Amino acid sequence: MSYTNPTGTAINTTTTTGGTTGGAGAGAVGSTAEDRARFVEYTCGDCDASVSLKRGEPIRCRQCGHRVLYKQRTSRMVQFEAR
Amino acid sequence: MGAPSQEELEKRKRIQINAETVGNAASNDLPYHWPGENHEWNLDYFEKTFNVHFHTSTPYDSSFSLTGIDTSVANAFRRILLSEIPTLAIEDVFIYQNTSVIQDEVLAHRLGLIPLKASRRGLNWMKWYSKPTEDSEGSGAPSDYNCAILHLKAKCEWQEGGLQRAARGETDPDKLYVNHSIYARDLKWQAVGKQVEMFADGPIEAVNPDILIVKMRPGQEISLMMHAMKGIGQDHAKYSPVATASYRLLPTIDITKPILGADAKKFARCFPKGVIGLEAVTAEEAKKDPELSGKEGEIKAVVKDPMRDTVSRECLRHPEFKDKVKLGRVRDHFIFRVESTGQWESDDLFLESVRLLKVKCQRVRRGLDEMMK
Repeated sequence: MSYTNPTGTAINTTTTTGGTTGGAGAGAVGSTAEDRARFVEYTCGDCDASVSLKRGEPIRCRQCGHRVLYKQRTSRMVQFEAR
Repeated sequence: MGAPSQEELEKRKRIQINAETVGNAASNDLPYHWPGENHEWNLDYFEKTFNVHFHTSTPYDSSFSLTGIDTSVANAFRRILLSEIPTLAIEDVFIYQNTSVIQDEVLAHRLGLIPLKASRRGLNWMKWYSKPTEDSEGSGAPSDYNCAILHLKAKCEWQEGGLQRAARGETDPDKLYVNHSIYARDLKWQAVGKQVEMFADGPIEAVNPDILIVKMRPGQEISLMMHAMKGIGQDHAKYSPVATASYRLLPTIDITKPILGADAKKFARCFPKGVIGLEAVTAEEAKKDPELSGKEGEIKAVVKDPMRDTVSRECLRHPEFKDKVKLGRVRDHFIFRVESTGQWESDDLFLESVRLLKVKCQRVRRGLDEMMK
């Protein structure tokens, strides 16, 4: 009986994300309508609240007004050898 | 040339431990070593002289003596124990989320080193898994017969009212957070396919449930999946079934001239407790030994339990014991100590090492037969 990963992700995907891009307004060259509507979750650097921002929104915490936000870690799977 | 005396035979297998040197260390019970004597290997002779004696035997820690066996074979057992008996260990870690302070690769390494235990029937049923490389395609995708899946999922949060308690100065994590320490007992095995049946009498779990894997603080989260494979210590130390398996040779202490009075007490202090005993000189001894005449009733150093000696050679540093004592070891008396990590019982481990050596010998024999065809 062959085994498939419960999440459906292929087992040999060792891709990790590269350096994260800076703020919310950075990057995105050929952006589509779908792209623009997408929210990205950030964490406030001061009060630790989670802040979801759209493209073009001012980089600011809704709770405390702090202007430093941290990008969250990717939820993409990363594979390691336990060696 | 007659057969050697018992005394001569004892002397031949005694390793001399001098103040700064070691003598007579190499085996000499080999053909053509002693003129006129036959030392060919002989099964009847081996059966007569070989002996196994257990000193302590607890499930995961045992100590036993093998006597009348060559170093090469005893060492083969030790090496097989360390590196050729299979166990399960976590081999691949798929990390979905890890916001704890431990880096992904360090966490994966820690998980790999956790000793796992499972039903022996299931372990025997499991096949080897090999990763595909440039040269070979390996054993294909992981399946129920060569891979066990484990999960670890935990998120640390504030307790009810924990934040207020922290503001008041409470620092005990047990009173502030939930899931602040993740232990080996939190690894959850997911039985797949035939594993349900094969591991029915012993699920795959950590041997020691209290191994701390990671500590977390509110907002931190770990979510990962692991693949445990069957492997051997040769591949990676995490697969080794023993914490340690070692042997030492039986130490000997020969008091050649009597050590009496205050010297005897000092002599006893040169050794670990229980090795040297103090006894009064009896009337009979005083009569027999000219060196003891008139010393009846004085205390005398006697060897009580040489097995407990660490062979520190401390007694050889003192001039008053010079020429009164000879230290040595018995070349064919191996005191084994086998500490299991928990998958196997210690005495089973030794039997398994014997079985594996036998399998290897049969393999060589088949190879030789093949050559002679």
